[in-house]
Amino acid sequence: MRNKHWKAILLFLTPTVVLYALFFVFPLGYVFFVSFIRWSGAIPTGFAGFQNYLDIFHNPTFAVSIRNNIIWALSLGIGQIALSALVAMILARGPWGWRFLRTVYFLPNVISQVAISMMWIAIYNAEYGALNRILEQIGLGHLARNWLGLVETALPAIIIQQLLYVGYFMIIILASTMSIPTSYYEAAQIDGASVLQQERYITLPLIRGILVTSSILAMAYGLRHFEATFLMTAGGPANSTSVMGIMLFNNLHFLQYGRANAIGAVLIVLGALIIVTMRRTIGRQSEEIVAKG
Amino acid sequence: MKHRVLFLSICLLVVLAVYGDLFAAAQKEGGEIVLTFPTFWVGQDSKAGPIADLVQQFNADNAGKIRVVIEANPDTDGYRTKLNTSLAAGVVPDIFVFNPDPTTFQYYDADILMDITEELKGAWAQDFAPGYIEASTKKGRAKTVPFETGLTPIWYNQELFGRAGLGDFPKNFDDFWAAAEKLKAAGIVPTSQMTGGANAWTSMLWYSHILASISGPEVWKNPLTHPQYVQAAEILLRMYQDGNTTKDAVGGDAGVAGGHYMAGRTAIFINGPWYIGRIKKDAPAVHAVTKLAHAPAVKAGAYGGEIGFQLSNLAAANTKDPARKAAVLKFLRWMTKPENVKMISERSGAMFALKYQLGAQVDPLLKQFIEISSSAKFSVGHFESQYPVAVTQELGQALGAMALGKATAKEFVQMLIQASK
Amino acid sequence: MKKVGVSAVTIIAKAGKWCLLSFFFFFTFLPLLWLFFSSFKTNFEFLTEPFSLPAVWRFGNYLNAIRISGMPRLFVNSVIVSTCSTILNILAASMAAFVFSREVFKLQNAILNLIVAGVLVPIIAFMVPYFRLISSLGLYNSLPGLIVTYAAINVPISVFLLYSFMQSIPRELEEAAVMDGCSFWMRYSRIIFPLSRLGLVTAATFVFLYSWNEFIYALLLTTSVSARTLQLGIRFFVSQFFTDYTSMYAALVITIIPSMVVYVLFHERIIQGLTSGALKG
Repeated sequence: MRNKHWKAILLFLTPTVVLYALFFVFPLGYVFFVSFIRWSGAIPTGFAGFQNYLDIFHNPTFAVSIRNNIIWALSLGIGQIALSALVAMILARGPWGWRFLRTVYFLPNVISQVAISMMWIAIYNAEYGALNRILEQIGLGHLARNWLGLVETALPAIIIQQLLYVGYFMIIILASTMSIPTSYYEAAQIDGASVLQQERYITLPLIRGILVTSSILAMAYGLRHFEATFLMTAGGPANSTSVMGIMLFNNLHFLQYGRANAIGAVLIVLGALIIVTMRRTIGRQSEEIVAKG
Repeated sequence: MKHRVLFLSICLLVVLAVYGDLFAAAQKEGGEIVLTFPTFWVGQDSKAGPIADLVQQFNADNAGKIRVVIEANPDTDGYRTKLNTSLAAGVVPDIFVFNPDPTTFQYYDADILMDITEELKGAWAQDFAPGYIEASTKKGRAKTVPFETGLTPIWYNQELFGRAGLGDFPKNFDDFWAAAEKLKAAGIVPTSQMTGGANAWTSMLWYSHILASISGPEVWKNPLTHPQYVQAAEILLRMYQDGNTTKDAVGGDAGVAGGHYMAGRTAIFINGPWYIGRIKKDAPAVHAVTKLAHAPAVKAGAYGGEIGFQLSNLAAANTKDPARKAAVLKFLRWMTKPENVKMISERSGAMFALKYQLGAQVDPLLKQFIEISSSAKFSVGHFESQYPVAVTQELGQALGAMALGKATAKEFVQMLIQASK
Repeated sequence: MKKVGVSAVTIIAKAGKWCLLSFFFFFTFLPLLWLFFSSFKTNFEFLTEPFSLPAVWRFGNYLNAIRISGMPRLFVNSVIVSTCSTILNILAASMAAFVFSREVFKLQNAILNLIVAGVLVPIIAFMVPYFRLISSLGLYNSLPGLIVTYAAINVPISVFLLYSFMQSIPRELEEAAVMDGCSFWMRYSRIIFPLSRLGLVTAATFVFLYSWNEFIYALLLTTSVSARTLQLGIRFFVSQFFTDYTSMYAALVITIIPSMVVYVLFHERIIQGLTSGALKG
């Protein structure tokens, strides 16, 4: 079926396809290719078959990393989006100072992740950190501990800190919420619907599309997570907060290019499976709903 | 019409961005040879000033013929990442800082580094202190030039020791633990430790010292399966227990460990001469009362050993162009000239693999470094210089596990062995 | 409907609402305040008494920050790189999203899925290929090198977002326009592009922020101040054995203020324009 606009279509697709081919397709090929090669320091020394993959699967840190990535994906995809949506819906109702709050909530995104992580390292510090100080002041001093240095608290500490930065997704959910005509709410009000009911039956279904999109994006960020953990714990303590991004990065430092790329390959395939599946099942539904409305 | 204007102005913006003065690359202008020199001896590093001066002097002396351009990479982790990526992609800087360890020595096997084995014989070799050129030679080829060295004796705060009723630094571990108890009784935390910062620096140095105390000069000939590693781990573990170190030691980095010592919270620390400038500036009171010592001896072990190692070497890209090669060698000889190195040492406190004598006006702490270096019975490298990066990095993680009670000393060593595979 | 019952619930809901909002406010704002105060301390003071007010307000840290890292130039570079990469990316992605959502052609779904799958690729795996690519294109250590890289990295996300948004625009609008003689290009530029404003702003925000905050590739692909971005300037305060936190924070504050100003001026205006008159309750 030849579309009569095929010339225009080609033109419109070209920039995207070129950029994508150069920066994704070829590098992906490189990653997969190198993952099957044995490296010694700086030089490839021959075909390694699946040895690199076996090496990384045998590394106990790998299982921990995958588990952590999945925890990150779910925490951000569900937890962060839920919080962002909640805040967005509250702000959409225009409480006093909502514009100011909107600005403040978004502020951390304008500052680099490096700065935020360094701030939080200081806050979580066992000796002089603010968190422990505050706990002591309010009489909960027995809870004070080395947050980032204990296996039980390190991962939650990093995740919660990231999760609570709702500004990023809140902004777009808010914009979407605010584009719903007020007449819907007025009508519902007249019919006696409470605020909660209004949100549940009007807002939520109408922003479902953006919620799903944001959720998928947040999950992708969770699977790709690297910077905050790297800066705050470098995967520790005892490799308990390690994620695949960190394992990859470390292997590059060890000059183990074969293994690093094998990890990259696993991450890509795993992530692709998860997200394409999600798009198929949930994504399509929401597109239909939105299209109908 | 409006859209056309918008579209055109966007195009213009892009074009301007592309063809403006935004292309910066090493060029060859006329016959001048330009050498790129990425390094982290810039910014806040104590050697930044002297190194910049030396390069400037060299460029002035060789104006029109050779020009060395320093590429600032202050963040050492970033530097290493970038260097590794660059080398893997086949792009080798003309001259760069090479941190020698078993992982980086693998680069010798490839053809990317300039082979200076022949040049490093004869007159040039005479400038170097004994042993360093051999240490930089693998499989008979020397491909990097020894430069900055590290010496990391034990530091202790004599004033805090006095407050706890202690005299000199303990010479064996029984006395050491007794001293620790006295320090704690006086409200002082005995040691600074850290498991973070990619190489658990302070703790890694302690581990090296303890190992040297156990097995003496031949310590590194023993593989990881030797019992010395477990024995040393048990001693190191004790330093993390019973309040023998700060609560933030697990996961802490060099800023944490050094910060506590400078704040007078901990009494014992380890670091090298490069830290002199820092402590003099930020904590002059502590600087004035810092003394150096050898590590305590283990029962039936060796005393008086020191940890000394090659910190940074200079490496050059392999090149077939004889003019370029000559230029690089000229620069390398300039940087390793004893009086130049002496100047850097005097201004920054760093130590070098060359033969030079410091003047009388030397920082008292640096003087102690020189004294302890000559009084050392033997000198061995640190753990980081003996094992691949993967093992060094795992040391911090395994140490954290052990300190948290999640691993025994035996399991700690097992994790190191696992990482070496 | 008991009025009393409703009031109690309303009060609790209102209290809960304000608790939540305040919590997020403090969570977001207090660390920034702390950053501000820390930037006036000495490093020693910072390490030993991180939560006190500075004993002496050292404005020297700010001079230090500007001097050491060349902040002004880096800021300009960041602005140029982020703006241009955003423009490039949005143009490319919106055109592609347009044909994906509006036209039917061979291999359409395959290509779309392939591109969208790129969203979860760990970009960190591509250090060596990107280095090689940018070097061979002759774009090493240049702003265009970063611009093209950032624009490309964000193609999957932008296409994904814009495709979703464009899908939801009803076809009837275009069908009517086509009957009136609207051309292919005009359908894009006059109808779909303006109607996807919300999606465009969303995607543009993501790309801009990414380019602004990105660090690893800025580090890898540049070597000199003429091409470096703000994030690298901040790392200038980390050296081999020492981190100058207070000067670093001074540098951060210097960068935060213009970023805030830019954000407030532009983004607020855009969002306001998009959603004016939609407040309810």
